Amino acid sequence: QADSWKYAFEESLTEVQGVYATKFKEEIEKNSDNEIQLFPYGTLGESADLMEQTQAGILQFVDQSPGFTGALIPEAQVFFVPYLLPTDQKHLARFFRESKAINNDFKDLYAEQGLELLQMFPEGEVAMTTKEPVNSCEDLNEVKFRVMTNPLLVEAYKAFGATPTPLPWGEVYGSLQTNIIQGQENPTFYLYSTKLYEVTDYITYTGHSNFTTAVMANKEFFDGLSDADKKIVQDAAKAAFEHIVVYQDGLAQQELKKIKETKPSMTVTVLSEEQRSCFKDAAGDVEAKFIEMTGDRGTAILKQFKADLAATAQ
Amino acid sequence: MAIKITAIMIVLLLAGLPMMIPLLLAAFYGFYELFNGFSKMDFMVQQMLAGIRPASLIAVPMFILAAEIMTRGQSANRLIDMVMKFIGHVRGGLAVSTATACTLFGAVSGSTQATVVAVGSPLRPRMLKAGYKDSFVLALIINASDIAFLIPPSIGMIIYGVISSTSISELFIAGVGPGLLLMVLFSAYSMIYATIKKVPTEPKATWSERLDAARKAIWPLGFPVIIIGGIYGGIFSPTEAAAACVFYALVLEIAVFRSLKLIDIYQIAKSTGLITAVVFILVGAGAAFSWVISFAQIPQEILGAIGITEMGPKAVLGVISVSFFIGCMFVDPIVVILVLVPIFAPVVDAVGLDPVLVGTIITLQVAIGSATPPFGCDIFTAIAVFKRPYADVVRGILPFTIILAAVSVALIFFPQIALFARDLAFR
Amino acid sequence: MTDKAHKSMLPGFLGQIDTLIGRAEAVILAAGVLLMALNTVGNVIGRFVFQYSFFFTEEVNRILIIMITFAGIGYAARHGRHIRMSAIYDALPIRTRKVMMILITVITALTMFALCYFSIGYILKVAASGRVLPALQIPVYLIFLWVPVGFAVTGIQYALTTVKNLLEKDVYLSTHMLEGYDDNEIEV
Ligand code: NA
Ligand code: NA
Repeated sequence: QADSWKYAFEESLTEVQGVYATKFKEEIEKNSDNEIQLFPYGTLGESADLMEQTQAGILQFVDQSPGFTGALIPEAQVFFVPYLLPTDQKHLARFFRESKAINNDFKDLYAEQGLELLQMFPEGEVAMTTKEPVNSCEDLNEVKFRVMTNPLLVEAYKAFGATPTPLPWGEVYGSLQTNIIQGQENPTFYLYSTKLYEVTDYITYTGHSNFTTAVMANKEFFDGLSDADKKIVQDAAKAAFEHIVVYQDGLAQQELKKIKETKPSMTVTVLSEEQRSCFKDAAGDVEAKFIEMTGDRGTAILKQFKADLAATAQ
Repeated sequence: MAIKITAIMIVLLLAGLPMMIPLLLAAFYGFYELFNGFSKMDFMVQQMLAGIRPASLIAVPMFILAAEIMTRGQSANRLIDMVMKFIGHVRGGLAVSTATACTLFGAVSGSTQATVVAVGSPLRPRMLKAGYKDSFVLALIINASDIAFLIPPSIGMIIYGVISSTSISELFIAGVGPGLLLMVLFSAYSMIYATIKKVPTEPKATWSERLDAARKAIWPLGFPVIIIGGIYGGIFSPTEAAAACVFYALVLEIAVFRSLKLIDIYQIAKSTGLITAVVFILVGAGAAFSWVISFAQIPQEILGAIGITEMGPKAVLGVISVSFFIGCMFVDPIVVILVLVPIFAPVVDAVGLDPVLVGTIITLQVAIGSATPPFGCDIFTAIAVFKRPYADVVRGILPFTIILAAVSVALIFFPQIALFARDLAFR
Repeated sequence: MTDKAHKSMLPGFLGQIDTLIGRAEAVILAAGVLLMALNTVGNVIGRFVFQYSFFFTEEVNRILIIMITFAGIGYAARHGRHIRMSAIYDALPIRTRKVMMILITVITALTMFALCYFSIGYILKVAASGRVLPALQIPVYLIFLWVPVGFAVTGIQYALTTVKNLLEKDVYLSTHMLEGYDDNEIEV
């Protein structure tokens, strides 16, 4: 019989997670009688609330980024180790499709928490937006830089030389406007959709990180589905992933163009290999911190990550 | 389910139960229906805790504390004395000053509840002494405080801008016109009220009296410097400015004016905590209630039933206005914006409405909802702070509601009230 | 702080405990608010003077706000300070008011006890998940421990008010407060 399934995510309907969710909904509704109800950012609570609701089976599906899952699954912070993931979109797509670390190891870690990991996908390269130009680590000296309250991300920005400043998301725009903070990081599409470019003057690509997110189902719910329904769900997750890969091709460039059209004075810089060297040097410290925080399990995940990345490099 | 929930809430509310109970029992019923029993009730607690989590709420107890210290000490009186020496001879002058102070304070603090307390605590006794009726005073404070939503910085506009991909700078500028219009209309009503009710005026002060009062107010004038200078100078967030005011007030009242002792500070902090708790438990209960509404997709159901997709732009704006007005009666404005904006987004897009205008109208409705019976955060705050019964607090509100409604209608038919300044700056 | 403000209606040992809880609530409220101010200003000083932002400021404030809210609802119940819409109630004759007040306090007490029970369930769930606060790295369930206590104390206060209304002639809003808004009420 037809069921109604609830799916919550952390962004608005028109942002990347929303585009993924919309495609997922379309696929499910096309291939079955089941209906998906979508709940964008904030409509049922914040990340931690959504996770608990999914674990309790109130929600059937949730999209949650590893940055927020860190309190539950510390190993998920591996995505914040700088320069671990490549900037090449095609390589990234292959990695997310084929990686053992993601499709086996992480699947098990999520299963321990009562969650069926359906798909991880990249949301785009993270860019720094600042009030002053950034060409090296020195330029971040004494810059109060907003980061999510995530221990490893904080560690990364300390290693870059900035003064990491945790702020709730609602205060970021106002604090940039009044100069309480002088920088923040996010994927390009998010810089445009959240209007952060209005209150900063420089966009800098250092290539240190690619924002990653994960879609999962309540495990008890998923295990209770018929084999046919399981397949429909898994196929929908894959179809939505391929949709996102195509959707993201050139997305950053488009969004950047929109930003430049609205604010011609915006300076966009892609750092050269040489300029990136001090950021890359700092990555070692962050990796060490990750291992310190997650022990043997983290070390194993990191090792598998690197192996998978090499295997999908071509 | 929507009808039953509303019925439960209204009956219990009118029966005189503590206001958290109608909200909680309505949510209770919703959870029971949605999950066929009591198995998921613990998520009511999750949502109550989520309701009191936003960091911006911290500004409320901080501004309450600073205001109470200033009011029980000398700072507030010295400031008001100075203002009175300049405008005390004008009929309605004190009321106009209150409206202006609410607008200014609200503009920088960004919190309507904090404004009710910070401006209302010192000014209400003075207005009563000057011969204004309490019903007018309370209504003026509650409504003028809500201009805070429209004048930047405005949390509501930031949230709207982020989830609807609308320029926040443009929203900020568009809010100024309606905000100032409201201030002018409230001031005009105050002067008419003072004239009709023959509120007595003070004799005109001499310049030496004025200078003397200004000299006495020199230390307390540090408060606006801390708040306005601190926030726009990039030193504090609004919440931090509130906490800084607490310490400045402590230093002034204990060390400089020697008007308060440490035991007084204990009493003031305790009563601040009490006011915070009775307001925040309602915010929490409202969050649990709104989760049920959102989860059951009740707004979608209602909007589908009235056929919003077939309406023209003005009718859509009308539906949006009414929806946000009703939503903000029961639930925290931020939550209402988060839930309703995505639902209206496709319609707004389809009829080609300017998202900046929509944002301004929504912000105005949010402001009205917080100050208009039966529910409203600012009404709760006034009840808690001024210890007046519900009926007293809402008695004088009608004329203000009429002004607010007139401005909302005007905004739909003359969008230039909001868009004039925006077009000047950005187009 | 007058003794009258905290004196319990309960006899003997139970009364002493109740009085003690009332005092503790008052201290928690005052300390919570002052610590919040200190914590917030401390972060500003850290950021500007030492170029160092305290990662825990937001989390500490969150802990304090839960503490203030849930210690405060009990204290508010004790002193009849919960917000209610009493316009219709106030217009009723005294006998009806008496019956209504008994119903109101019973319903409120039951709701509070139910929420106390459900909040324990929620805390157990959070504890089992092992979730920690990202900056402070302490288990999240610990900061919720106030919640069931606050609900229980509030429920008990309303239950005691029911008893008081059954035993005495006047209508009581709380164990300490007669109904009506008296301008000369005890300062709390
Ligand atoms: Na404002
Ligand atoms: Na209202």
